[in-house]
Parts: sequence; structure tokens; C-alpha cells
Amino acid sequence: MPSRDKGQRSITTSDQELVLSSLEPEQLARLKKHFIPRRHLRGLEKFVIWSLRIYLLFMMAVVVYQVWISSH
Amino acid sequence: MGAGPLSRVTPQAVTQDVVITHEDVDRAHDRVRVSAARGQRGVFSGFRLLWLLVGPGILVMLGENDGPSMLSYAATGARFGIGFFIPFVVLTFCMAVVVQEMTMRLGSATHRGHAELIFVRFGPFWGWFSMIDLGIGNFLTLITEFIAIRAGLGFFGVPPWAAVASALVFLCLAVITHRYWTWERTLLAIAVFNLVFVPVALLTHPSWHSVHRALITWRPLPGGLSKDTLIILLADIGATVTPWMLFFQQSATVDKGLTRKDIHVGRIDTVVGAALAATAAVATILATAPLFAHHMTAENFQAAEFAQALQPLIGRFGAALFALGIVEAGMVASVTISISSAYAFGEVAHRPHSLNLPMAEGRAFYSVLFLCAVTAGAIVLIPGLPLVNVVLLVNVVAVLAMPPALVFLFMLANDRDVMGDLVSPKWANILATSVVVFLTLAGVLFGISVIAPHIFGFLGGR
Repeated sequence: MPSRDKGQRSITTSDQELVLSSLEPEQLARLKKHFIPRRHLRGLEKFVIWSLRIYLLFMMAVVVYQVWISSH
Repeated sequence: MGAGPLSRVTPQAVTQDVVITHEDVDRAHDRVRVSAARGQRGVFSGFRLLWLLVGPGILVMLGENDGPSMLSYAATGARFGIGFFIPFVVLTFCMAVVVQEMTMRLGSATHRGHAELIFVRFGPFWGWFSMIDLGIGNFLTLITEFIAIRAGLGFFGVPPWAAVASALVFLCLAVITHRYWTWERTLLAIAVFNLVFVPVALLTHPSWHSVHRALITWRPLPGGLSKDTLIILLADIGATVTPWMLFFQQSATVDKGLTRKDIHVGRIDTVVGAALAATAAVATILATAPLFAHHMTAENFQAAEFAQALQPLIGRFGAALFALGIVEAGMVASVTISISSAYAFGEVAHRPHSLNLPMAEGRAFYSVLFLCAVTAGAIVLIPGLPLVNVVLLVNVVAVLAMPPALVFLFMLANDRDVMGDLVSPKWANILATSVVVFLTLAGVLFGISVIAPHIFGFLGGR
């Protein structure tokens, strides 16, 4: 049963009907029923993600180095 | 268009277990107007539907025309003119459309934010990596927004503390209605002021023949490829595609309540946003190009200095418009970036996250939003910080952080379990892969220019 929320103004029955008739079920803010399963990464996907992660960490070090040589 | 795998929850299940919130009620009112417009026929109804559904795409694009971006474009025009960079900037906005369309489609199909989807689909390990990238990138960018606001208002003699305070007041006013629709319309009205760079460009009396020739022939880089040129190139790319845009547009799409039926309008929204933002970006390059023609050194200019340098050419009024444009860019982006951080926090921490939330229900959401902004504003007021370098480097960091973020977006947009029949078509995947490769190569070239300049010279750079 839809219940009153803890906000300042009360939610009326017509509000509930409006919500249920105009929003898709998974648009409801507190609907936690639907579960999206975890995706298992394949070998190539893991390789690409890890490669780009290492690339990013390395490039951040390059940026820090660039800042250091600019300031000296 | 059929419903996706996420549409398996029945309304009956909803009524049994779920609390209806004010956020839902506000969103439902917005959707009723959309349904009414969709139910009518005629040109007027079509425009009304467009009017009701546009927002996230235009806001994200004009929001990304932020303080550091406009300063990057200004530096570009002043140092390199228009020949190479006008078509280059148009190309970067085309890349932005490819990327942002995927986020809009994801948000409309799943009704979940980007951070939430990464966490549930790839797990907390990769989720936290993405959040750390986003958090650091957003915070650094937010600092530069306050730098831009401070510098722009500095042109009018406003002291730094007052500039920062006014930006924080603007942020409070922007979200005070606790209503997504009002917030979006208000910010859209202010964001369109980004086009103030168009009259500034017109005041410089640009040569339209040269502009036309630049767009048609795409002339080579003046002076060839050097490390400094590469930083400007990366800064201009980072001025159009950054990680916060992915998170913001997807979350705003969800908050607005767009559905699968709205995707075609979402595409129009994104393209219109990109066109408006590209117009403002090109206008900024055109506005400062006379400084290049007059061989003025503009390497370390901030907003106020650009405006002052332009004053002899376009008068006090034109210079004031330029400075106001920088202030607007910083103000709008400070709102969108703070909200992007707050959305991501709410999605990951499972706290309510919507601009429809009353303060009592969204304390955590609004606290993160304001905390980010206040801290960034306070940092800008610390005396002696090297603020000029930060501005260009923030955009470079954004480009470097994009490939890992794009790979998750790419995988989610092609995930049939999440997207159903809305997975990316082959042509979109080819374009998206090209963007990832292009950004990665740009980053690698930057890395080589810094750590092995002799190899960079061997590759044709200086």
C-alpha cells in the first residue's frame, strides 16, 4: 500500500494515482525491488579496462611531472 | 519501441511495497504534461513536446562551455588564430554529441544514473575507481569555475571574496525551489547567455571569408606541433568532452523522467546543445583572434586580462560583455558540476538524489552539493596559489580521464541485459571507438612531449 512520505506536505490518494498512472514502475524513487545482476567481464574487456586504468595513472604522474618542471 | 528488460516490475508490486515520495509526485506532474502534448497533433504540439523535453542536453553542453573552457578558447584564438582551430572545435563538439547521446539513451532506458549503473553492473571495485576519477576531476574543475568567476568579476572591480560569495548565493538560488523543472528552466535561461560571445565576436568585425575558408580547408597548425600547442589542443578537447558530462546528463535525464519514447527528442536536445555551445566556442576564438593578428602575447592571460586586451579593439562595452560571459560560464558550470557530484554521491550511497527533493528529504544530496562548492570557493581565496596553470591543466586532466570513463559507457550502451533493443547501433560503436582511440592517442602524444621531448621531435613535433 502506498504510504505517506515523511515530507512536509502529505501525499494524497490522487497523488498516488497520478504517480502510478504516469510514471513507469522503475522510475519510482524508492523502488528497490528490481535487481540488475552483476556483469562478468570477459578477458578482452578486463584487458582493455586495466590497460586504460594503468594509462590514466601513468598520465596523471606525467601531469604532476609537467606541473613540477613548469614550476621550476 | 518495445520495453526493455528493466520494465518487468508491475504496478501492483509497486503499490504493495513502495513509498510514493514528493519526488515521484513532482515528476509525475511533469510527465502528465508530456503525455498531453504527445497526445495532440499539429506543429504547435510538436514544439510544445520539444519544449517540455529539452533540457539536459542543452544544459550539459552549455555547462561544459565553462570558465576554463572559454579561457581555453580565448587563449586559442589569441595564440593561434582561427585557421586550424575553428574546424577542430567543431569536430570536438561532434565527438561530444556521439558520447552524450549514449548517456541520454542509457538514462532514458534504465532510469538509473551513470554511477549507479557502473556500481551494480561492474561491481564496487570499478565503481569506486570511476567515482574517484569523477570526484577529483569535478573538484578541480569546480575550483577553476570559481577562478573564472573571480577573474571575470575582477574586471568590474569586484573583490575576490565578493565574487566567490555571489557564486555561492547563485548556487543556493538555483536549487532553492526544490523542483527539477524550475531549476532546469531557470538555468537554461541563464546558460543561453553563453551566446554573449557572439556579439563580442561581431564587434571585432571578423573576416567571414577567412572563417569560411578555415571551415572548408582546415588549415595546418600555425608554427607546427609543439608541446605548448599540444596543451592547447588537449585543453580544447577537454573543453567539450569530460567525465562529469557523462554522469550529469544521465542523472539529469533520469531526474527529468525521460523514457524510451522520449529518446528521439533527447537526441535533438543533445544536438541543439552542441550547436549552441559550438557557436559560443567559435565566437570566443573569433573574438580573441585579433590579439593573434596583432601579435600580442597572451600565454598567461586570465579573463580580466583578455577583456582588457580586447578593450582597445571592441570598446569598454564589448570588453565588459566578454568578462560577463566568463562569469556566466563559471556560474552555470559551478551549478551543473556540483549537482553532478551530488547525483553520483546519492546514487552510490543509496541516498535520495533529485532536484525535486524537499530539503528535509534530500539533506545528504544538498549537503554534498553545497560542500563541494563552498570548499572549491574557499580554495580560490587562498593567496598565492598558481591559479593560471590550474585552468589549462584541468582540461588536460579531463581528456586523460575520458578513455577509461568512455569504455564503461560504451559497454553499458551495448549491454543488451540493461538496454534491451536500445543497444548502440554499429555506426554509433564505430564513432564511439574512434573517439576513445583519438582521445587516448592525444593523451599519449602529450605524455611523450613531456617525458621524452626528443622522441616528440622525431615524430615531427617541436
